Amino acid sequence: MTDPASDAIIELAGISRTFGGGAGRVVAIDGVDLRVGRGEFVTLVGPSGCGKSTLFNIAAGLADADPGGEIRFGGQRHAGRDLLGRVSFMPQRDLLLPWRRVIDNAILALEVEGMRRADARARALAMMPEFGLAGFERHYPHQLSGGMRQRVALIRTFLFERDLMLLDEPFGALDALTRTMMQRWLLDVWQRHRRSILFITHDVDEAIFLGDRVVVMTARPGRIKLDVAVDLPRPRPAHVATSAGFLRIKSALLDAIEEESMKSFTMAGH
Amino acid sequence: MAGRLGRFVAAALVAGIGAAATDAMAAEAVSVRLKWVAQAQFAGFYVAKAKGFYAAEGLDVTVNPGGPNLNGETLVASGADHFALAGGIENLLASRAKNLPITGIAMMLQRTPSAYVAFNDSGIKSPKDFKGKKVSTFFTGAHNTLYAVLSKFDVGANDLSVVPQAVSMAPFIDRQIDVATVMLFNELNVLKARGVKDFTVFRAEDYGVSFPSDTLIVNEKLIAERPKTVQAFLNGSMRGWKYAAANQAEAVDIVMKAASGLDRAHQLAMLAEYSKLMVADLGTSQGIGAMDLAKLEAVRQSLVERKVLDAGVRIDSALEPKFWNAVPAEYKKP
Amino acid sequence: MTPGRILALQTATILACLALWEGAARIWGGPYSVMPSVSAVLADMVANHAALARGILRTLTETVLGFAAGAAFGFLAGAAFAQFRLLERLLLPLLVVSQTVPVIAFGALVVIWFGNGILSKVVIAFYLTFFPVTVNTLRGLMSVDPQRVDLMRSFGASAWTLFWRLRLPFALPAIMASLLLGVSLSLVGAIVGEWFGDTVGLGIMLVQAMYAENMPRLWSVVVACGVLGAGLYGILAAIERRFVWWGREL
Repeated sequence: MTDPASDAIIELAGISRTFGGGAGRVVAIDGVDLRVGRGEFVTLVGPSGCGKSTLFNIAAGLADADPGGEIRFGGQRHAGRDLLGRVSFMPQRDLLLPWRRVIDNAILALEVEGMRRADARARALAMMPEFGLAGFERHYPHQLSGGMRQRVALIRTFLFERDLMLLDEPFGALDALTRTMMQRWLLDVWQRHRRSILFITHDVDEAIFLGDRVVVMTARPGRIKLDVAVDLPRPRPAHVATSAGFLRIKSALLDAIEEESMKSFTMAGH
Repeated sequence: MAGRLGRFVAAALVAGIGAAATDAMAAEAVSVRLKWVAQAQFAGFYVAKAKGFYAAEGLDVTVNPGGPNLNGETLVASGADHFALAGGIENLLASRAKNLPITGIAMMLQRTPSAYVAFNDSGIKSPKDFKGKKVSTFFTGAHNTLYAVLSKFDVGANDLSVVPQAVSMAPFIDRQIDVATVMLFNELNVLKARGVKDFTVFRAEDYGVSFPSDTLIVNEKLIAERPKTVQAFLNGSMRGWKYAAANQAEAVDIVMKAASGLDRAHQLAMLAEYSKLMVADLGTSQGIGAMDLAKLEAVRQSLVERKVLDAGVRIDSALEPKFWNAVPAEYKKP
Repeated sequence: MTPGRILALQTATILACLALWEGAARIWGGPYSVMPSVSAVLADMVANHAALARGILRTLTETVLGFAAGAAFGFLAGAAFAQFRLLERLLLPLLVVSQTVPVIAFGALVVIWFGNGILSKVVIAFYLTFFPVTVNTLRGLMSVDPQRVDLMRSFGASAWTLFWRLRLPFALPAIMASLLLGVSLSLVGAIVGEWFGDTVGLGIMLVQAMYAENMPRLWSVVVACGVLGAGLYGILAAIERRFVWWGREL
C-alpha cells in the first residue's frame, strides 16, 4: 500500500489560522492546501499581509493551525508543534547572534542538537568556501556586508540538515546585483544538495527563475489562488528571463497578483 | 634551703592557681556604644580597655563607635549593646517618657558642653540680644539648653529665628548667621584653630542654666539580672576616665591607636576641654561621673515648663545612683 | 584619535583642572579655607598615607563583597522574575518599596540585625546594588528578539538552551550597564555603612574630617573615594569593552 502522496515531503490540507475573536477576529489564512515534493523547489508569492509568514510558522512548527486541517510530513500526520526541530527554517532577517563569530553562528543549530563544538566547527569550516565565506570564519557579523550575513544565515540553515527548508524572502534586503548572484549560487547549492525548498518572495522574476512551481496566495484571508509549474529547463541561464516561456508564466502571475494587490489595497482603504 | 624552696613552690602554686582561676572565670563580654565616631571624647573607655582596667574587673569590653543617625538609647533599649554613652539628661528623660527600658548610672559632664558664639562687632552682648537674630543650633539636645537660657531673659522661641546647624562653622564665619552653637570640646577648637578672633562665647552656666550631659546608660534588664556586671563596668570605666584626665597625652595615643586617621592636636584639645567639663562641681568634690540631682531636677523642670516633657516623668525613674556610689573612691576621685 | 592621544588629552585636562584649583585656592583661600589648595591636600595624603591606605583597603573590601552579593542576588532575582512572571508580580513591588527607604534611616536596624562588623556595611552595599541589577536583568531577558527565539525553537532548542545560548547573551549588555551603576552605588553603601559604628574606612575618615572641619583631610578622603570609585568603574568598563561589546549590535 503506497500512499499516493508519499513522494511529498510536506503536505498541508485545509490549513486555517484565525487570530483574536469577536469584532477583532482576523482570518490570516483560510483552507490552504499546499504540497512540496521531495527535492522540489517551490516558490510562494503574494501581496503583503497575505499570511505567508503565518503559513511558514505553521510549517516550521512555531505556531498551531486551527483545528480541522491536516499536516503530513514525510507521509506521517503531525500536530503542528511536532515539527519543531524537523524543518530547517530561515526567516527574512539573518538573525545572526552578534556575539558569535561567523563560524559559531554557522554551527548554532548543530550546537543546539548537541554536537560537539569542535566537530560542528570542522563541518562548517568545510562548507565555508562553497558559501563564499572562506577566510571570514573568525569575523563577527557586524564586520560583514549584508550579502555575506545572508550567506552565513544560509550556511546555518544548510548545516541544520533537514529534508525541508523554509526560506522566507532571504534576499529581500539585498541590492539587485548581489541578489542575482545569490540566486544563482542558491540554485547551484540546491542542485548539489537536493533538499526540498519552500521559498517566499515578493519578486515574480525571482519566483520563476528559482522555482519548479510558483504558488500565488490571495490577499487576506490567504488562500492558494494559483499553482503554476515552471517548465523551463535547468540550469537556467540569466537570459532565460527574456524567453517566451518565462514571459508567459510571468504575465499569468502578474495578472493574478495585481488582482489580489488591488483587493488588499481597497480593503486597506476602508 | 627547704624554706626558700618551699616558698618558691608555694608562690608557683599560687601563681598557677591564680592563672587557672582567671581562665576558669573567662572574661564576661559586654559592649558599650559611643555617641559619635571614636575620638578623645571617649578616651576613658579606650584607656580602660587598653590599660586592663576592664580585664581586672573580669570584663571583656567591646567599644562600638557611634555615628550619624545612630542612637545609643535605641541600641541599649533593643539589647544590641549593653551600655551606651548617650546624650544629655533631657534625652534620657525623653526616652523614659517613651518607656524605653534604660537607666542612667553616671553623668560624665557636670556642665553644659554646648555654648553660643557671636562676633564682637555684631552688638550681641548677652543672650538677651539674640532677639530678632538668626541663631543656629543642633536639634539633638542643644536646642533645649538654648531655650532654657533664653527663658532667663524672657526671650521666647518666636522672638528669634532658630535654624538647624550644619556640621560646619563656615556659615558663622561667613556671617550668614549671627549666633552659632559650639561644643566646647570641638567646634570652639575648630574656630580657634582657624584663627577666627574677636568673638564672644556665651555659656549656659553664666546665666544660671546647667545641662549636664553624656549620660552612661544601661538596660534595666541588665541591672536586674547581672548587677555585678554593671558595677564591674562602671568601676573600670571610671578608673579609665580618671586615668585619661590625668594622662591626657597617653590617652590620646591610645584613642588614635584604636581609630586611625585622627588629628592629634585636635584630639588633645578635645580631651583637655572635655576633662574640664568632667572634673568640675560634683565631679571634683565627689568624683568623676557623679550625678548632680539638684541640677538634673532643674533641667527636668525647665523641660516641663516648656511643655516638651510630661510632668509625670521623674528624675529618680531615669537614674540609678547606687552603682556609682559603690565605685571605690580611688577609681573616681580626681 | 588613537587611545594614546586620548589618554594624553585626559591627563592634560586633569592637570589643567588641578592647576586652576591650586591657583584659585591660593588667591582666595586662607590656610583653613573650605577649599584647600591641591598642595595642602597632597601634603595631607602623604602625611596620612598609612591610615588612608587602611581606609581604602577596608572600604574596598566592603564594596567588593557587597557588590558581588548584590550582583549575584540581583541576577538570580531578575532571571527568576523573567522565568516566572507571577513571581515578578508578587515580589517586585516589595523590592521597589524597599528601595524607597533611604538607607540612612535604618542605621540602628542594620546594627541590631547585622552587628558592628564588616557584615553590616556589606549588607548596605548589597542593598543599594541588587535592585538595578534585578531590574536590568529582567528587562534584558524580556527584551530578547522574539524572532531569534523562534529561530532557536525551530532548531529544537530547550528552555535551558534558549536561556544560555540566547537570552543571557542578549541580556548581558543591559546587565553590564546595571553593574556599572551598581558598583558606584555599592561604594556609596559601604561609605554610609561605616557611619553606623566603625573605626576604619573612608566613610569614617569622612565623618572625622567633617566633624573636626579638617578640610585638607576631607578632600584627601574625597579624592581617595573618587579614585576608588573610578578604579572599580574602570575595571568593569574594561571588562564590558572586552567581553560584552555587542550592546549596539542588538
